[in-house]
Formats: sequence, structure tokens, C-alpha cells
Amino acid sequence: MSAAPFFAPFAVEARKLNRSLAALLAVAAPSLIAVFGFFMLLRSGRSATWDMWMTSAAGVWAFFMLPMSVTALTALVAHMEHGPRSWDHLRALPAPRWRLYAAKAVAVVTVVALMSVATLAMNGAAISLAGAIKPEFAPTGPFNLATYAELMGKIFLASLLMIALQLWTALRFASFVPGLVLGIGGTFFAVVATSAKEGVFLPWQMPVNMMASDAWRVDTALGLGCGLGLVAFALMTIHLSRREVL
Amino acid sequence: MSAAIETTELTRRFKRHLAVDAVSMTVPEQAVYGFLGRNGAGKTTTLKMLLGLIRPSGGTARICGVDVGSDRLGAARKAGALLEAHGFYGNLSGRENLDLTRCLIGLPRTEIDRVLEVVEMSEHAGRRVSDYSLGMRQRLGLARAMLGAPPVLILDEPTNGLDPDGIADMRRFLGELPARTGATVLLSSHLLGEIEQTATHVGIIHQGRLVLEGELARLKAEMVPEIGVETDDPARAAELAASRGFTVARSTDRVVASLKPGEDARAAAAALNRALVEADIAVFAIGPRARTLEGIYRDVSAPTPAQPLMQPEHV
Repeated sequence: MSAAPFFAPFAVEARKLNRSLAALLAVAAPSLIAVFGFFMLLRSGRSATWDMWMTSAAGVWAFFMLPMSVTALTALVAHMEHGPRSWDHLRALPAPRWRLYAAKAVAVVTVVALMSVATLAMNGAAISLAGAIKPEFAPTGPFNLATYAELMGKIFLASLLMIALQLWTALRFASFVPGLVLGIGGTFFAVVATSAKEGVFLPWQMPVNMMASDAWRVDTALGLGCGLGLVAFALMTIHLSRREVL
Repeated sequence: MSAAIETTELTRRFKRHLAVDAVSMTVPEQAVYGFLGRNGAGKTTTLKMLLGLIRPSGGTARICGVDVGSDRLGAARKAGALLEAHGFYGNLSGRENLDLTRCLIGLPRTEIDRVLEVVEMSEHAGRRVSDYSLGMRQRLGLARAMLGAPPVLILDEPTNGLDPDGIADMRRFLGELPARTGATVLLSSHLLGEIEQTATHVGIIHQGRLVLEGELARLKAEMVPEIGVETDDPARAAELAASRGFTVARSTDRVVASLKPGEDARAAAAALNRALVEADIAVFAIGPRARTLEGIYRDVSAPTPAQPLMQPEHV
């Protein structure tokens, strides 16, 4: 049996992003962090290590930009189908419906992964550029790419549960509102209750817990975010492919 | 002629509302079947059940002999659909939109050029769909429905929102479809004129029930003929016609007298004319009228009379 039918829906999802607002968002969010880092270095007035600049960027990403980007990205990706009401067309095709939803999940997770890589790369480039403009504030110490990549990787894996919940909500409801309320609400509680012990169980706070000093917080958030995220994606695919879209 | 689409007692209930009530319809192969009904009569719900988009509460639906309930994918391979909501991605071109569907159902790339040619859209295929007119989107929707040359095309209100030129264009196109593609076309609409000029067969759904079905020409021939009368005094003319045993309908300037089955329309028209002249009513025009689809539709889908109010019981 050819593998093509399994990849075709994913390829289709990737092509739908072409010239879309979701693609614009995927570029804009990491760029904003890079721009922020660039100007922060120019106005810092002192030199700091690469570790400080790169972990700061990862912190901004995990704490705020990632949850907000996931909220917007899932809403935009779902709205590509809700807006022109294309679910009827897609669901009437002679293709298993679960593949349509699984492809959506793979596409969104892939975009978030690429955004994570872009955040790392763009921030590194922005800090280097700012350091070249003001050499006296140029970052010091080694550039530990493996360490930064590992941190971003953990943040990404811990965010899977949040991505699954946001995507599930966005695909389930034709309106933007439920997904936005969930995302904004989740991010709000993640921000105002950052130091709360229970925060480790809040999907929107799991990514930022990858920067915690307590190992149990890192392990718990990573295990729950990644493990339950995969389970949530599976349940989402089953639920959405079985439900009637009236 | 065998059936391309066949439903048996197809039923769908939404909570307490019975949207489709035991519909048994038969669409012969290579027919253009006009599925008529008011808005909310149950047309779209029936089509959605045929496409496997919603599950019936009862009954079965078959497309080219394949049961939609037990083999949705098999049935879906036999049918292409143009639904009311097109579901195009405005940021992509017409060709790119078709290619997404082609890719999902695993067809060769040559299919796109073929269907674009059938709907005469080849020269606009490179433009973004967001720049298309509604008529062009309908054509693109038809092209997409024809991808893979399915033997059945299910089209939900394909002329909705089109301007008169667009409607005429679509009508011509739909009439030619079976000959050009060999497909059976199930066409839902609430526009009687559109169906009358396009369809070979009709099914009329009213309040969820299929109240009439058959070959359009045969239905017209079988229906009780009518005599149309224009006089200077329609009220008296109607009274006189009724007194002579006709079933009469009257508008402000015209009387329509329905004949009994088997009655000779020409002889009846002559007798009625004579009676009107003898009653000193000026007759401007009189003659048997060919039955129209509109007349058939009105006969079979007359609003259900309201139930009489219950008389209070005496105590």
C-alpha cells in the first residue's frame, strides 16, 4: 500500500498556508521577539552573555508569545475551513475523515516547531546584528546552540497539550470566540499565577515551566504536556471525524 | 433504466423536528433530476444524507447501488457534489483549489485541465478565487464536482445568487451535462422555471415528504388539463364555470377552470365559451392551457390547512 494517501492531506494543508494570514503570523511572532532583543541590546548599556540573551528570548516565547501565537494560529487555520464553509466539501470526499483532522494537527504542530526554530535563529541573528552595530555591548561567552535548541525543544514538546486543546476548540466551533476566550484566559492565568505550584498542571503554563529551577516542575510539565498532548490529539481526531457538522 | 440514486424511507429527525420524512426517491441513470421544494422543505438535508454528511434517523440511501450508510467511501467515489457553500480558499487560484481536491482523492494532474475545459474556465484558472465572480465560482465548483468523472453529480442550488445571464448560462450548461459527461445530475432548487427548463425528471419535497416524483413530460401530460379564461367580469365567469361543474381558481383578471380527468379540453372550452357568451359576459381569450411545472408544484405542495380549533367541551 502506498504511503501517498497518508501524506497527501498534510501536503494539502501545507499548500493552504500559502499566502495565508496563518503563514504571516508564523513569520511575525518570532520576528517580534527578535526585534525586541535587537533593541534591548542596543539600549542595554552593558554587555551580557549569549546565555542571557538566548534564554531571555526563550522565556518571552514560552511565557507569552507561544500561547498567544498558538491561540491565533489555531483560530486562523480552523477559520480557513470555517470561513468559506469548506467542511461539507472536505467531509464528502472519498477519503477517510480522520486524515483531514490529523493533517490539520500535524500542520499546526509543524508550524509551531518551525516558529520555535525561527525564534531561536532570528533572535541569534538579531543579537549578532545589534552587537555588530554596538560592539561594546556585544554578547559575551560561548554560543551554546545545543543547549538553546534543547530548551526550545522542551518548550515545544511541553506545549503539545495546549496546542491540542486550542486546535480542538478552534476546529469544533465555527466562531472565533471560544478558541480566543480559551487562549486568552489560559495565557492570563499562566501570567498572573506564574509562581503558583499548581501552574505546572495548567497547559498554558507548561512551556514556561521548562525554565524552572525545580527538576520536578520541568519533568512534570514536560511529561504531562507532551504525553497528554498526544492523547488529546488522538481524541480530537476521533471526536471531530465522527461528529456531524450540521 | 436503472437507478443512479435510490432512497428508501429516508428519514432525518432533529430533536422534535422531522426534517425529512420517509423519502423514497429514484433518480434514473443519465437523468437531470430536479429536486424541488421551498426553503426548509428538506432538500439540503436529503442531499447531505446522500453524501454521507449526516446520518439518517431511518431508511437507506444508495448511490449507483452502493449503500451510503455502510460504505460511505464507496458511495462517495460515485458522486461529485456542488454544495451551497463552495468552500474555496480565496488566497489560492482556481487551479490550486482544484489541485487540493485532486490531491486528496488521488487523481492524476491531467484531471484538472479536463474539468476546467468542460466548464470553460481554463483561461481564468490562474487567477485567485477571491477575484472570481459568483458565476465563475459556481463553474469552478462544478469543475471540482466533476474531478474523477463520478457517475453522479449532486448540485445544491447551483443558480443561487447568479444574475439572469449567469442563470441562463448555467441552465444551458446543466442541460448539456449528461450528454457531455455521461453523468446523472441531481439538482436541487426552489426555482421552478430553472427546473422546468433543465430537468428531465422531478421530485417535489414538501414539509419533508416527497409528494410527487416522475418524468417531467409524463407528469405534465398526466395532470388534469385546465382552461384559461379572460373576460370582462371574472367574478360572474367563475360563478358560471363553477355551476357547470368545473373546479375554478380566480385571479383579478383571469379564471382558470380545471377539467375532470379524461375530459376533452377543446370541447369543454367551446361549451364554456358558449355559456359565457349566452350569459352576456364578454370573452377576451379562452383556451386549454398546457400544464406547467408551477401548476403541478402548486397542486401537490399546497400549504397544509390549519387544524380547526378544538371546540371547548361542555361541562
